[in-house]
Amino acid sequence: MKIKLNNSEVEAAEGKSLLDICRENGINVPTLCYHASMTPEARCRVCLVEMDGKLVTSCSTRPREGAKITTNSERVMKARRLNMELMVPEPTCRREDDYEVCQTYKEVGMGNARFLQIKDYKPDLGAAVIRDNNKCINCGRCVKVCADIQGVYAIDFASRAHNEHVTPYWENNLADVACIRCGQCILNCPVGAISERSHVEEVVAALDDKDRHVVVQIAPSIRAALGELFGMPAGTLVTGKTVAALRRCGFAKVFDVDLGADMTIMEEASELLRRVENNGTLPMITTCCPGWILMMEFFYHGLIANMSTCKSPHEMLGMLVKTYYAKKAGINPKKITVVSIMPCTAKKFESTRPELESGVDYVLTTRELGRLIKMRKIDFAALPDEEFDPALGISTGAGVIFGATGGVMEAALRTAHFLATGKELEKIEVDEVRGMAGVKEGSIVLNGKEIRFACAHGGANARKLMEQKGKYHFIEIMACPGGCIGGGGQPIYRDPEVLRKRTEALYSADRASKLRRSHENPVVKQIYKEMLGAPLSDEAERLLHTHYVKRDRF
Amino acid sequence: MQILRQTNLEALEKARALGPEGVIALLGKRGLEGRGGAAYPTAKKWKACRDTPSDERFVVCNADEGEPGTFKDKLIIRHNAETLVEGILVAAYAVGAKRCFIYLRGEYDYLRPRLQEQIDDVLARAKMEGVTIEIVRGAGAYICGEATALLQSIMGFRGNAMAKPPNPTTQGLWGKPTVINNVETLACAAQAVLFDDWDPTLRLFSISGNVKNPGVYEFPLGVKMSTIIDVARPEKKLKAMSFGCFGGIMPVDENMLVTPETICMEKCQHGAYSIIFIDETNNVVDVAYSIAKFYTYESCGKCTPCREGTIRMLNLLKKVRTGKAVRKDLELLRELATHVQDTALCGLGQTCGNHILTSLEHFPKDYEAYMKK
Amino acid sequence: MANENGKKDARPLLNILHEVQEQHGYISEHMLKQIAVEQGIPIARLYGVVKFYTMFHTEPQGKYMIEICGSPSCVLNNGMRLEKFLENEIGAGIGETSKDGMFSLYKVSCIGCCDEAPAMLINGEPHTKMTVERLRLVLAKLREAEAKKADEGKKK
Repeated sequence: MKIKLNNSEVEAAEGKSLLDICRENGINVPTLCYHASMTPEARCRVCLVEMDGKLVTSCSTRPREGAKITTNSERVMKARRLNMELMVPEPTCRREDDYEVCQTYKEVGMGNARFLQIKDYKPDLGAAVIRDNNKCINCGRCVKVCADIQGVYAIDFASRAHNEHVTPYWENNLADVACIRCGQCILNCPVGAISERSHVEEVVAALDDKDRHVVVQIAPSIRAALGELFGMPAGTLVTGKTVAALRRCGFAKVFDVDLGADMTIMEEASELLRRVENNGTLPMITTCCPGWILMMEFFYHGLIANMSTCKSPHEMLGMLVKTYYAKKAGINPKKITVVSIMPCTAKKFESTRPELESGVDYVLTTRELGRLIKMRKIDFAALPDEEFDPALGISTGAGVIFGATGGVMEAALRTAHFLATGKELEKIEVDEVRGMAGVKEGSIVLNGKEIRFACAHGGANARKLMEQKGKYHFIEIMACPGGCIGGGGQPIYRDPEVLRKRTEALYSADRASKLRRSHENPVVKQIYKEMLGAPLSDEAERLLHTHYVKRDRF
Repeated sequence: MQILRQTNLEALEKARALGPEGVIALLGKRGLEGRGGAAYPTAKKWKACRDTPSDERFVVCNADEGEPGTFKDKLIIRHNAETLVEGILVAAYAVGAKRCFIYLRGEYDYLRPRLQEQIDDVLARAKMEGVTIEIVRGAGAYICGEATALLQSIMGFRGNAMAKPPNPTTQGLWGKPTVINNVETLACAAQAVLFDDWDPTLRLFSISGNVKNPGVYEFPLGVKMSTIIDVARPEKKLKAMSFGCFGGIMPVDENMLVTPETICMEKCQHGAYSIIFIDETNNVVDVAYSIAKFYTYESCGKCTPCREGTIRMLNLLKKVRTGKAVRKDLELLRELATHVQDTALCGLGQTCGNHILTSLEHFPKDYEAYMKK
Repeated sequence: MANENGKKDARPLLNILHEVQEQHGYISEHMLKQIAVEQGIPIARLYGVVKFYTMFHTEPQGKYMIEICGSPSCVLNNGMRLEKFLENEIGAGIGETSKDGMFSLYKVSCIGCCDEAPAMLINGEPHTKMTVERLRLVLAKLREAEAKKADEGKKK
């Protein structure tokens, strides 16, 4: 099909939206409510173009043969500007530059500021996710991602006309409803009306306190994403620079959550084998993801017995910092502050769970770490590569792939095979659980018994998998699309391709590791030898395992 | 009045004799057009629905008559509901639908008990295997008169207008082909099938405002405005007339011939033949203000220009009425009204600036009267 | 529990909400939860639906719901005078309920009684061609009827 695009004739595939056609032809059209993985709602009306003399939203319009499209007429520009002006009467793009709206402003051009702000909403201040409806432009992406991608349905629009606003039911705060704190709404908010509850100030205060021994641990997925906040392309692995930056921020020790992941695998693989051998409750479901744990506690009360009792990797390591490390280093654990750098807003909630008796004091998201580094005026790109502190800083490739969907499963299978058979897997990569398919499955044979496993990422996929959970022995769930690399605390991304690049970065780190199996980790062996004895020992159960509660489904 | 002629299930009987294709062909020949305002040929709509392959089809009667100044569907529901129900059955028969809905606006809920009786009665006598008619009770949202919002509402969602395509006729309720016609169209459908002398040019007019004889009248298209004014009997000299809310506020032109083109100008999206007469004792800005209030209250809130634009236009009119406006404000008002019309998603948004543009154009003195104060 | 699309075979949600409101006077948080469970609708979405339609109320309402028509036809026929009178008479503004719990006052877009303007709905029944005098009579009758009911209640 041929259409006329800004006076040049172009070939366009039938059924494609004008927006896609424009972008394929190198013409930039600004958008706000549009998201590549959701059906267009045509709410914001910033992507206007002229088609045969009429203004239409390019995201939702498909051209007819021979249509005449103009994307840059004065009429188009003026209409886009006025819609921006109506949505954001008093633009503020000073504080942070990573909101989509700031980019849109650049593309549309700042218009006048002829209207006064008339919204007057009370901010919703949760312990993990906070919302300020006064900034909201009603694009609806948070509502859609929460419902369609996450299957949580914690928020929706209420009221109508200029009073239309996003809210949990009955105008509750997010913290008081069945919200899993995954933070996907934050990633999808183009104006920063939803954000994480920041703990940067508290961490800075701890760092400045001479009496505190402040240690930090970073999650696997941070190293594959932090660089984006400093202008590096997606998928740049910045492990060494991150360690260097954290030292320069003033942290006394920089530890690696990958080690916690290796510990988790030792415990979880052992737990799986015990359940299989003793006819325990199966399938066993992973519990590294606090968003998924909340989802289970809200909506799947019947699954509590299926959940692994393992704490998540950073909680394990936090506990080890305050026991194993404190003892070795001769520091009073009460003087130690543990800060976790996580790709996740739900981790903020997790560290406040009473069931955990958490060793972690503060959780910062990747974005908050970026802010901290900028606050301290550290030139991130110019930093040398440094190594983790060895006390709790040696890890394996199995730990690093925890950050990607399927990674926990793959790491667990590597170790479970060894623990069960005494032999290593013939092929170390478990290809069945790699990639971005919503639900993945496969099976291995351990001592003549077939173990069927499956993974899901994104809450809606988790719901799908739960409907057929009976088919499997072992299930990994990550609440966020892509797993932790797509977590709600990660740098805001627009192109889904970013997730693939971050994932690839983690797999390349695994390939480059000398040690690629959790049971090969010398520190892990040492911890068991010196303190815990063996996986699932009483001491291991006490420090590294937890339990779950039933929560009101509303 | 033609619209009050009873069909006594004979239209359905004739339809069954003609067969579905025959009914649709006959309606095409009779020239029945949708009476909601878009004037889409009914036969064409039904055929498109019928020709869309599906295991299920639906018929929806839009009884969400909410346009201020419009009350003609109420007359039909009150005085000729049997014919309306029969029209729904004819439509169901023609397109092959089993489940039918009447979306009755909440403000007309007092008509519901009797309407339900009449539905039950006609259904019992019509003996159409498996066909049901459910009343869906509207709950105070003008936007639900818009086809896509109406379907959302029936399915139990917020009544938000949706981007088209898909068109409801081929992809409506639960994704299935769905015929949506308003009350007047469906009542006419039964009559047009049955009566050879049925006149396609007759339209119902809702007349109200500063007149002694407001009410529903039947006139042929092309009727002269002076004829309408004669029956409406204004007490004082007329100054303006508002065509519903969407059609704009125009000076009274006694020689105007009322046709779809004149009444809606070119912007017409929805609405029927409603005229609110305004006499010389009133300032047109006050009328524009009450219309602006209506839109500010009834916008569904989905798209930016309508959600944010309507409240800004209302605030500007408030400024005018309190004597605080300057010329620049009127320019902004005009800019906004044009912009909202140009860029809004649905018919409501695309017409919600008409009253402002037309009143600014035709009654500048009324604005000035406020600005001088 | 989560059901993305409206259920096809269920009764229309709006009818269910109307019935709950008719039974309880308004839709309470408790009822909202109950409907969410029974209909399998996520509660945030259900709340969004309830709040979209102005006829649904999430707070207790007066015994009599007065909905004044705000259409241009009613405004042109002295509708505003009725609004002011009502606000004074029952001591509650638009969107409020009188202290004695008798009346809730609302202004609505158009009730389709433009040929009998000015008009209003009282508990859903149209009252047309209203004047201040007629309105005073109507209110007096309603109050009288309520007083009588209260008396009978005491006797029992």
